Amino acid sequence: MIKKEIYLDYAATTPVDPAVIAVMTECLGSDGDSANPSSSHSPGRRAKARVEVARSQIAKRVGVPSDTIWFTSGATESDNMALIGAMRANEYRGRHLITSVLEHKAILDTAHALEKEGVEVTYVNHDTDGIVDPDQIAEAIRDDTVLVSIMHVNNETGVLQDIAAIGQRCHERGVLFHVDAAQSTGKVALKFEDWPVDLVSLTAHKTYGPMGIGAIYISEGVSLDPMIYGGEQEGGFRPGTLATHQIAGFGKAFELADPGSDGPLLAACRDRLWAGLNTIEGVSLNGHPAQRSPHVLNVTFPGVEGASLQLALANVAISAGSACNSDIPDPSHVLRGMGLSDVLAESTLRFSVGRFTTDAEIDYVVGRIQDEVPRLRALANGAPAWTAS
Amino acid sequence: MDYSSEVEQRFLSPCRAGGFEKDTPGIVSGEAADRTLNVWIRFQVQVLDGAIRTARFSVYGCPYTVAAADWAAEWLEGRPSTALEELGMLRRYKKLGVPVEKLGKLLLIEDAAAACWRELDNLKRQKRS
Repeated sequence: MIKKEIYLDYAATTPVDPAVIAVMTECLGSDGDSANPSSSHSPGRRAKARVEVARSQIAKRVGVPSDTIWFTSGATESDNMALIGAMRANEYRGRHLITSVLEHKAILDTAHALEKEGVEVTYVNHDTDGIVDPDQIAEAIRDDTVLVSIMHVNNETGVLQDIAAIGQRCHERGVLFHVDAAQSTGKVALKFEDWPVDLVSLTAHKTYGPMGIGAIYISEGVSLDPMIYGGEQEGGFRPGTLATHQIAGFGKAFELADPGSDGPLLAACRDRLWAGLNTIEGVSLNGHPAQRSPHVLNVTFPGVEGASLQLALANVAISAGSACNSDIPDPSHVLRGMGLSDVLAESTLRFSVGRFTTDAEIDYVVGRIQDEVPRLRALANGAPAWTAS
Repeated sequence: MDYSSEVEQRFLSPCRAGGFEKDTPGIVSGEAADRTLNVWIRFQVQVLDGAIRTARFSVYGCPYTVAAADWAAEWLEGRPSTALEELGMLRRYKKLGVPVEKLGKLLLIEDAAAACWRELDNLKRQKRS
């Protein structure tokens, strides 16, 4: 039985897991642990305990001590905090930042903002599979380089960067290394203590937790300037009343997010989807075929305009480019950066599977696309070659 | 993207999409394209006794373009051939539920219809000479 709507946009956000909802609900209402966790009275201490349980659940999932995890409103804030906070706090070391052209807008826009403050930014390229060469990072490092920021799993293509190798190059030169790992949790194993990283951005809502809550891992000894002021919460790095229910949900979501069990299931779903789509003439997979997360599939359908395919599949929630950018008419900067023409970038859809995706849903979507792509191509019969190249 | 019910209906079931059988009498065709807008459109119309009997189209573009092309083909049918120059898409975009930022794509529909008119005019001149 196929549901009325099929959700294949887990890279944009995930539904909140029922077990997470249960934990969050326990922190709401007059009978719940809803007091201010900074208050010293008994209800406040109970709320504080919830926060600390969540902190330890998150820390355990990513393999670090609890006191290195600080709560934020999400990965975008964590990215801002990492870049702006590190560049400002380490100005005495230099004013040079390195990132890649494939990063999320949360990094690129922050880097552009820093450029207006006088920070020099080097944007490294990547190969056509979307892989950043660690040696290229090493070549870009200068004496005044403070920070390198590279994402772990690309939100549009699912391509995985070699964080260990890039981090090693950074640390060999005494440069801080930040990783945006918003897409990673629960899909690929994370153990920050084994990675040469200093700062990592995390979020709950891509991992079956609530929206509006995230965290930043700050390695011991790393200096960051705060972005906002107004209290001592989160060690003064990020003041403001802690959102107990969101934090508790975040912790539960990360406790449940086991890549050892979820990863193979996601990969099986993704591979089933690709096996079906790959029967359609001319389709191509974007991104490295092996070095990628199990939950994202980015596929180009030459000769079919992406918005038209999206509407033809109106009951299937999929994304043309990243969800953050889907209202913006410009083609994806990631796909363009990987060498796709504007036309092909606009003929591309991102599918992302999740914990609740079923084989029946995948088979239904494959069948619909196998019908709709030929229909739309027939509608464009006689079109010039540029519409498919 | 939120599409109007008219756009959705015409996109999903474009009644006048396609072309004509080879050797169908009275066929003229016209194309327009803009790569930067990601649109290509071709109209084919059958003009008999100065009137457009049937209109067909092929299109590569977004749902708004497909729907507007279907609407234009329907509007043309039964009108005198001079209608090819009088589509007036800019007057009709609101009725079709097309957002203002898509107007450039609708102008290409006018351009394709106008190209049909020019071909028709050329054919008339050739006959006269």
